[in-house]
Amino acid sequence: MAPVARVEYQEELERLEAGALGGLDLVSASLERTLEAIEHQDVELAQLVIADDDRIDGRYLEVHQSLITLLATQSPVATDLRLISSLLHVLKNVERMGDQCVNICKLIPLTGNDPPADEEMVKLILTMGRQTRTLISQAKRAFAERNVEMARDLVRQDDVVDNLNRECFGLALEIGDDPDRREWAMTMLLAARAIERIGDNSVDIGEQVAFVVTGLFKEFEDASHPDG
Amino acid sequence: MQGAAGATRAEADATEAQAPTPRATPESAPAMANVEGPRAKTIAVRNLNLFYGDFHAVENVTMTIAPNKVTALIGSSGCGKTTFLRSLNRMHELTAGARVEGEVTLDGQDIYARGVDPVQVRRLVGMVFQSPNPFPTMSIYDNVAAGLNLNGSRVKKAEKDEVVERSLRGAHLWNEVKDRLEKPGSSLSGGQQQRLCIARATAVEPEVLLMDEPCSALDPVATLAIEDLIGELKNRFTIVIVTHNMQQAARASDVTAFFNLEETGKPGRLVEVGETETIFTSPTEKATEDYVSGRFG
Repeated sequence: MAPVARVEYQEELERLEAGALGGLDLVSASLERTLEAIEHQDVELAQLVIADDDRIDGRYLEVHQSLITLLATQSPVATDLRLISSLLHVLKNVERMGDQCVNICKLIPLTGNDPPADEEMVKLILTMGRQTRTLISQAKRAFAERNVEMARDLVRQDDVVDNLNRECFGLALEIGDDPDRREWAMTMLLAARAIERIGDNSVDIGEQVAFVVTGLFKEFEDASHPDG
Repeated sequence: MQGAAGATRAEADATEAQAPTPRATPESAPAMANVEGPRAKTIAVRNLNLFYGDFHAVENVTMTIAPNKVTALIGSSGCGKTTFLRSLNRMHELTAGARVEGEVTLDGQDIYARGVDPVQVRRLVGMVFQSPNPFPTMSIYDNVAAGLNLNGSRVKKAEKDEVVERSLRGAHLWNEVKDRLEKPGSSLSGGQQQRLCIARATAVEPEVLLMDEPCSALDPVATLAIEDLIGELKNRFTIVIVTHNMQQAARASDVTAFFNLEETGKPGRLVEVGETETIFTSPTEKATEDYVSGRFG
């Protein structure tokens, strides 16, 4: 029986996977700028990140629509169907991660031009952000290579982010009595929380890798039943 | 291939566990004729090999077909699925030079045992064909009643009326034809003719219904009507359907069996059988994956 490749369909599916995973590069770039804006209290750069989120949303809409068209016209099944289902998830994650960068950048003007910043806390948040960028690129690679082990390792990498987030919280508790410093610390906690969520989204993408490969969906870690 | 055989066997065992204990040994198989009323039966196929003369058409199939379920047989042309289907009611042997090795049992009774009347087997295991084939000159009524007459038993008119109405209702055709039962079967549309053939096949109260691409000659609306009907008929019969339409297998069946042949001239083999949902989302075998995804002709 000679192989009959559905060439155009396969090429379209590959193009859409590249488009969805490319969304993670956009998110990573957006997060890099967000971290720079935090470090330098750069309100202008923060505005740019907010404006550029349209590119991430555009990518979401474009690839999402094309995937729906493939579902409607090509009747994908088996691995193709699992891949398309996963890409729809990944796209949603990408869109959420972009929104978290926007959330952080909207906070930056609130802290004023010369905020009473705590150097140690800023350092922690920047470290969190850099670690999260590592997660994003690892999630992308694990998906592209269908590497379940690499995907599972995202949980370990994400623990680092979670621990840094808790450290931020500890620092905020001991920031002192000055109302301005306390307000700044609260704002920064929101930023840390947003970065932590981006890390979680990366783990979610890792779970989709396992689904594409094995056909079984199982959360790597169940937050509501951590021991079960 | 080892995996496929394993999966097939596992499926067989799982179904067997729920199947009723065989009520008779092969020696007493002719007693099948005495079974009263329709009751879906389990078909167990063991090491079945089918030949046309020297040509080995189907190799070593072992599977269990569960009652009250729709089992779809899929695979490319020439993979042996229709030959396999025809072996389930002893129609394969009607072809000159055809030969059967292995075992096919209906609730434990070997349909190929010595002394079993093939005509009786075909009454218990009805067949609906690819093209609707009502007897063209017979009326709609007589088409449905034909099986009753052929079975040799004298059936009273009132009883016949009742069977015809029940069968036509069961085939979702009664309302469309009740006022013109005396018109020829060929006066109906293609979809109606196929439903008429289903009514004819079910009128004799078989236990198994075999369907060989029953919708391939029908338009999408008539196809969906037949698929709905299949979904209802499985409450009364064991149903096996051969289809080239993958979406039909996905929509209308509970279990899907994929047949394949390695190359032309080689025998067809059962590659994988499993729940339809599994076959179409996460099949075990790469050959199945390639076929259902449309990567192979």
